[in-house]
Amino acid sequence: MPEAPLPTRHVAEAVAAPAASRASPWRRPLLLLALAGLFALVGPWIAPQDPLWQDLAARNLPPQPGAWLGTDNLGRDVLSRLLAGARITVLVAGGATALALAVGAGLGLAALAAGALPAALVFGLIDMIRALPSVLLGLALMVALGTGVGPVTIAIGLSFAPTFAVVARQAWLRERQAAYVEAAVASGTHPAVILRRHIAPNVAGALITQAAIILPRAVTTESVLSFLGLGVSPETPTWGRMIAAGLPFVERAPHAVLAPVVALSLLTLVLAVAGDHIRAAADPLRRGTG
Amino acid sequence: MTTSRRSLFAGASALAAAGLLDHLPGRAARAAERAGTLKVALLGLDTSDPHRHTGSIAVQQVYVEGLTSIADDGRAIPYLAESWRIENEGRRYVFRIREGVRFHNGRVMTAEDVKANAERVRDRIGRGWLSAPMKLVTRLEAPDARSFVMEMSEPYGPLLNLLSELWIVAPESEGWGGTIRQPIGTGPFRFTRWVPNELFRGEAHDGYWQAGLPRAEAVEFVLRDMDDPSLALRAGDLHIARARFAALPELRADPNIEIQFMKDTTWYFWSFNNRRPRPPFDRVKVREAIAYAMDKPGLMRLIAGEAGVVTNQMAAPGQFYWDEAIHAADRHAAPDLDRARAILRAEGVEPARTPLRIVSWQTDYAQAAAQAMRSLGFQVEHIALDDLGAQRRLNQYDWDLAPFASGPRADIFLRFIRMLSDGPNVGLWGGPQDPAFDALVKRAVAATDLAQRRALYLDAWRHAMDRYWTVVIGHAAEAIANRREVTGWRPGFTWGANRVDGGLAFARIG
Repeated sequence: MPEAPLPTRHVAEAVAAPAASRASPWRRPLLLLALAGLFALVGPWIAPQDPLWQDLAARNLPPQPGAWLGTDNLGRDVLSRLLAGARITVLVAGGATALALAVGAGLGLAALAAGALPAALVFGLIDMIRALPSVLLGLALMVALGTGVGPVTIAIGLSFAPTFAVVARQAWLRERQAAYVEAAVASGTHPAVILRRHIAPNVAGALITQAAIILPRAVTTESVLSFLGLGVSPETPTWGRMIAAGLPFVERAPHAVLAPVVALSLLTLVLAVAGDHIRAAADPLRRGTG
Repeated sequence: MTTSRRSLFAGASALAAAGLLDHLPGRAARAAERAGTLKVALLGLDTSDPHRHTGSIAVQQVYVEGLTSIADDGRAIPYLAESWRIENEGRRYVFRIREGVRFHNGRVMTAEDVKANAERVRDRIGRGWLSAPMKLVTRLEAPDARSFVMEMSEPYGPLLNLLSELWIVAPESEGWGGTIRQPIGTGPFRFTRWVPNELFRGEAHDGYWQAGLPRAEAVEFVLRDMDDPSLALRAGDLHIARARFAALPELRADPNIEIQFMKDTTWYFWSFNNRRPRPPFDRVKVREAIAYAMDKPGLMRLIAGEAGVVTNQMAAPGQFYWDEAIHAADRHAAPDLDRARAILRAEGVEPARTPLRIVSWQTDYAQAAAQAMRSLGFQVEHIALDDLGAQRRLNQYDWDLAPFASGPRADIFLRFIRMLSDGPNVGLWGGPQDPAFDALVKRAVAATDLAQRRALYLDAWRHAMDRYWTVVIGHAAEAIANRREVTGWRPGFTWGANRVDGGLAFARIG
């Protein structure tokens, strides 16, 4: 007697819980992302002081009333800079991830749709680029693009784009073998239509999962670049710059380094946990295992 | 005796003699007195060719030496030249070369070697600090083994000080015709091993002309770009290291560390774009307003803490070329934001509508300067770069303000030269091109009388001050820290790691 076929993704969805509860696996990760985004959005507005304001007579003060996380070497309020830096960090990381997804997946899928030779050329190049560490690649792009929030976002986004291209290819190859796609091909449907109507929506899940993995990495890459003095202008309060600026005085004013380190760790943790939940939500076979 | 036995006998005798050499009293005593390897982190080494250096002089001076050395008060004193006389109203210099100075390969240095080095710098190098005086040289002679003569087309006051950086290298050094790769000098240590941007090692020169020196077996310079070598110093991985001002409190608290200061200072300033100034910063009154906005005492405290001093001149207080009256007349010794705003209003400048571009290194005081401009209301764009990047950007002259600093120099002329129309690396000073200023400096350089030279330099400085080319914030002497087990070492007037009367040759470990 033949064995029952293994459930496909579509079958798994069909036997899944009723529609009303299908949204529930997304609730937790979206809540986490919303919290991170809200914190970043309102941070500068709730900062007690101007993050750029310097008081040279109040340098390296320890945490105290009026300066709850102390001041740095230029007498700037660490808490205010932390809150302002959150927006930049989240904006840059989020923007870079979105750019990476759009460029990487778009380029990858377009190359695949164009045919075997274009796909081979594009992905050969992508494989070469992927051999470089993303920070190194981001560094090289920064040198070419210059400083500023825009250039650093583009640099980080482009450095991660190859990853999305590869994920898109893997998802494409999987979906290309699906019966419904074969049926569409057999019926003479245009490749672009097949891509748009059948393949892309089903590839989206994999890409969203990848975005959830890349987002915390983009956060740390932005911090590394700003720690190295690249990216935005020196006064701009990014967490990486705060760490770099505080290091020479770490024995005298450890708070100026600890605050951004803890903030960076927490944000990365929140995004990583959100990513786990997203991966579970996007792949029903993994639901309950994330 | 047959030929073969004669050869054998000669060879054996040579071997015996070589073995005995090590046991001669002088050599044995010198070897016995030496101990350890000094580990040092000061500045880098940008070339193996001493004549082609681009400003970093900290390492070379352990393996090469000049005719003169710079004393603690900035005067030129004898080094490889044991004396000199100046004739023909400053146009002829006759140097008596020190006897018995040996290169690292054992050959005795003569006046002919000195002449060859001067000719090389004049004819083949053509740039750097020495290019200006070498253009004035009309004749170089070595009439005998111990006499070297330089004749100039006109008097040149800084010559003796600048000759402290015309280092004497044996012409048989590898690369003499192009770029010297293995310099054979006369210094207390040899050019043993160089890994660019990593390490320089110099082993003791057994035939060094100063008896009893060097006191260490070797010196190793860490050439990596260490942002803060004080940690390595405190851990015992280094013996001597440059100490950042930010690290001084922790170093002072360490009982194993001693802090000393260089005799010349680093001067801190901001410059305006003097080459292609952008409105409204091309107006003197607007520059004056910006000067009123800068908190010079606050900035110097930020830069150097208690080690800094505020002034308005390129010479530090107490130095020969510093003037008390000019210092006392400094209108910007304290900030006056109200006055700054009033001047801007009178000039019709609306800061909120005026972009101001600042180019700087990535330093805290540059950020403080930028903030001062924001407090006036300007739309500040601050571009902070590394050393090379900043120099390249400055040379584009599309900026308005540049807060920078410049370190110790062998002669005050090497500060004025940066403001000459054809000076080297003038970007940090905004690249002024003013024939009247050039003429004043030229007259100062040609003055044989010290008092007259001082007066002319001060006139030139007033000329620059009146136009607000560069506004001095203040001065601070660089700190160099050493572990207390290192004795006999003291920093000099400049970054040079060795001098005739001090430096690493005199340092002993333990």
